[in-house]
Amino acid sequence: MREASSSNGARRRRVLATLLGLELRLLLRDKRTIIIAVLLPLLIYPAFILAMRAVSRAGQERLEAATYEYAITGSEAELARSLVQEALALSAAEDDSAEVPTNFVERVADAPDSLLRAGELQLVVEWMSHEEYRAEREAEAEGDTAALRRLDELAAVPAVRLSFRSNSELSSTAASRMGARLRRLRVERRDRLLRERGLPLDPGELAKLELNNVAPAEKEAGAVLGMILTPLLVLLMLSGGSVVAADAISGEKERGTIETLLTTAARRGEIVAAKQLAIIGVGIAIAVINVANLLVYVVLGVFELPERFAVSVEPVALIVLLLLFLPLTGVISATLLALSGYSKTYREYQIYFFPVLLLFLFPSAAAVLPGIELRSAIVLVPVANISVAVREVLVGTYDWLFLGLTFAVTMAAALYTSRLTSLALSTERLITAAELDRAELIGGPALFPKRVLRWFGIMWVTLFITSLWLGATLGIRLQVVVNILGIFFGGSLLIIWRYRLQPREVLALRPVRLPVWIAVLIGAPSAYLVGVGLARLADLILPVPERMLESFGEYLIAPELALWQVILFLAVIPGIFEEIAFRGVLLSGLRKRLRPVALCLVTGAIFGLFHIDLFRIVPTAFLGAILAAVVLISGSIFPAMLWHALNNAVALVPAYLELRIAEPPLWSFGLGVLGLALAFWILWRYRSRAALAGGDGGG
Amino acid sequence: MTEPTVAVRGLAKTFYDEARGEVRAVDGIDFDCRPGEIFGLLGANGAGKTTTLRMLATILRPTAGVARLMGRDVVEEPVAARRTLGFYSATTALYPRLTARETLEFFARVNLYPEEKVDARVDYLVGRFGIAEYVGARVEKLSTGMKQKVSIARTVAHDPPILIFDEPTVGLDVINALEMARVIRELRDEGKTIIFSTHIMSEAEKLCDRIAIIHNGKILASDTLDALRVATGRHYLEDIFVDYVGGVEEMPGFIRESGSAAE
Repeated sequence: MREASSSNGARRRRVLATLLGLELRLLLRDKRTIIIAVLLPLLIYPAFILAMRAVSRAGQERLEAATYEYAITGSEAELARSLVQEALALSAAEDDSAEVPTNFVERVADAPDSLLRAGELQLVVEWMSHEEYRAEREAEAEGDTAALRRLDELAAVPAVRLSFRSNSELSSTAASRMGARLRRLRVERRDRLLRERGLPLDPGELAKLELNNVAPAEKEAGAVLGMILTPLLVLLMLSGGSVVAADAISGEKERGTIETLLTTAARRGEIVAAKQLAIIGVGIAIAVINVANLLVYVVLGVFELPERFAVSVEPVALIVLLLLFLPLTGVISATLLALSGYSKTYREYQIYFFPVLLLFLFPSAAAVLPGIELRSAIVLVPVANISVAVREVLVGTYDWLFLGLTFAVTMAAALYTSRLTSLALSTERLITAAELDRAELIGGPALFPKRVLRWFGIMWVTLFITSLWLGATLGIRLQVVVNILGIFFGGSLLIIWRYRLQPREVLALRPVRLPVWIAVLIGAPSAYLVGVGLARLADLILPVPERMLESFGEYLIAPELALWQVILFLAVIPGIFEEIAFRGVLLSGLRKRLRPVALCLVTGAIFGLFHIDLFRIVPTAFLGAILAAVVLISGSIFPAMLWHALNNAVALVPAYLELRIAEPPLWSFGLGVLGLALAFWILWRYRSRAALAGGDGGG
Repeated sequence: MTEPTVAVRGLAKTFYDEARGEVRAVDGIDFDCRPGEIFGLLGANGAGKTTTLRMLATILRPTAGVARLMGRDVVEEPVAARRTLGFYSATTALYPRLTARETLEFFARVNLYPEEKVDARVDYLVGRFGIAEYVGARVEKLSTGMKQKVSIARTVAHDPPILIFDEPTVGLDVINALEMARVIRELRDEGKTIIFSTHIMSEAEKLCDRIAIIHNGKILASDTLDALRVATGRHYLEDIFVDYVGGVEEMPGFIRESGSAAE
């Protein structure tokens, strides 16, 4: 037996090697691939960078060579003129780029403001007496008493105003350079005055300020490199791999060779694997060629690296980086291949390519987000987590638990996408080849259990993106409306409509008997207590940063909310609509695929993941699992809605009323467990037989 | 009587189409084929010929029924089943950037023809199909007739016992179509099991040892041409075909079964 299986393994390896040989041979013989994927980037990137530098240098030279014309106006133009001339006569300070020698020429004009607007002048210097200045400010203040009070504190000295046009580079440069000189003149005059009045030391020595950058050069460069490395790599992989991927399946379809290949003894998985290896190989080769290319240009001195740019990568960092980039290349190549598999022709592939490019570039630039840390929900977003992890590694931070999680998440995404590609090779609609089961054949409600997780994945990503972009700007009320009514409820309705589901069945809209409601009244506060205990246990494993806890509390209980609003937005609405999404649509979708215990745990875990904040996952997952059990046992969603709303109310209302409840003592957790047990005993006694049987029998 | 190399029982394929709903492209068909015979599937476009053959080639997965190639179930052991099979159709193209020799080598290897014999096999095929002159040229440079020869050689590269030709003469001129028929007969005489599909009556008449008339996913009759003549009392295959297909059309729901006298 053993011999047979090992010879079978050798056969499979032979098939894979033959397929890979074919891919590489086809690739190397395609002149377009070589030109577009290798030669063009080799020439374009340096050409682009050189062109950019030439443009910016030319611009700089133009600004330096230009003659800046200014006019002087105002009640005491003569005073202003002498001031300006004195300022221009100052020798340029070396360390200030705003004070480089500049050609200023005065032009005498009757209506300088209109000349400035017409672009004939770059700058207007206006001398204003204190009274004029004050009159103008008062008109602006429009009775704002605080602003008027500040005006009273102004010293009665004249003002100089520089007018310029910010849409003209020349004009704004003129303003900033003139401004810098006038400011220095002011400082020198003040110093002179102080010395004349007998200040015993140089006024410049009065308060020394020195900037001291303690970051080693490598870390500084690491921080910069960490931000650009991932997007750069993604861009190179995508642009290089894409040419290969386009040819890989959609090209074969267009030429009709895929059918020939599918009737050979090669497995579909082997065909996909060979193609994916080819894409990864080419992607890596192109990335290496480009980096080497860049290095050559640096060594030749075509580009200069920024000052203090020293990258020292320790061996550990190098290994970690390679390990992080492995799933990244996997997910990119698999996505490109899937794209190729789902498009019938090159043209179709090209149409899809651009959105996919954006889909990767945005998350790959996640490291640029201000204040982002790997130890946050970003760890659950494939590609984006790699980007953040790479930056942390390059500045020398190793959060091993989360690095592992990052690797696992993106690797899982890569494997999932590969599987999709294998399926694409057998999707009848596209290629007249199939491994469809009955559900896919019939469509409609039968397809729903297979697709429900995909839908919730999309909902999670939507939620995550909205919270990243809008989280800070939306108030809590709007956020509830967007997240709960928009994403959860809207998504649920969309799913129900798409698969033509029966709302009453899916959402378990059934009446229950009175004892069930009593069980909920006992169970909700008890479960809350148990949840708090669990959160404390979780805290031992994954400590919650103190500042995060505080800001979260403040954030939820915004002071401008009235109590009824707290109850409506944070208890009632989540109670109703989160239940519809999670214990309604999600639960019934997973029901045919999982046994009851696993069903509750999975539903709970997904519910936990939807509370983006990583530190809320444990308590919310616990609540989610309990609520799923409530729905399964009672056969109705209504008790879960009440339970959920009560839970939120118990959690928030005391805090809102600023009732300082001391840390619950240990015995209270015991009480919680007892209450929870009692509640479930009641639920079980009055359980709905039909609902439980329906769940198991329906599968 | 030799054992059947191809055995098909109750094979069916249902598609789901947004517009038309469930479409039964193949609706429960049975047939057997044996070495040294050409079995013809005769039917109009859309009758279910290509769907049937694609199920045999494991490109499509049957909705119901069983098909075995050399005893290998196409659903249970698709890879083993495909190894026994050479599949040729108007849509099975060649890689333009490979040379003829590379093409033959690739298909022999990927179908697990013993490595040490690959070179000898390719040499044999080159000689047999007369492609020596252009064996080093890339396929994209070849004429239609040359490509056809390479394509047939590709189909038999791994020396499979079963060959499927799905409308192989579509788009060929008379000379090339005749050449195709000649090669198929030769292969039959070497003992291959050949399944040949066509919608052209004269082709089926001249080439096939047995003919199955397929219509709307069902096999209406399956026998030797002579037996079909006896059963219908008509001489020309065209008339026999219309007799069966027209008969169904006149009496919806009624399917005429033909006796398998030749078996």
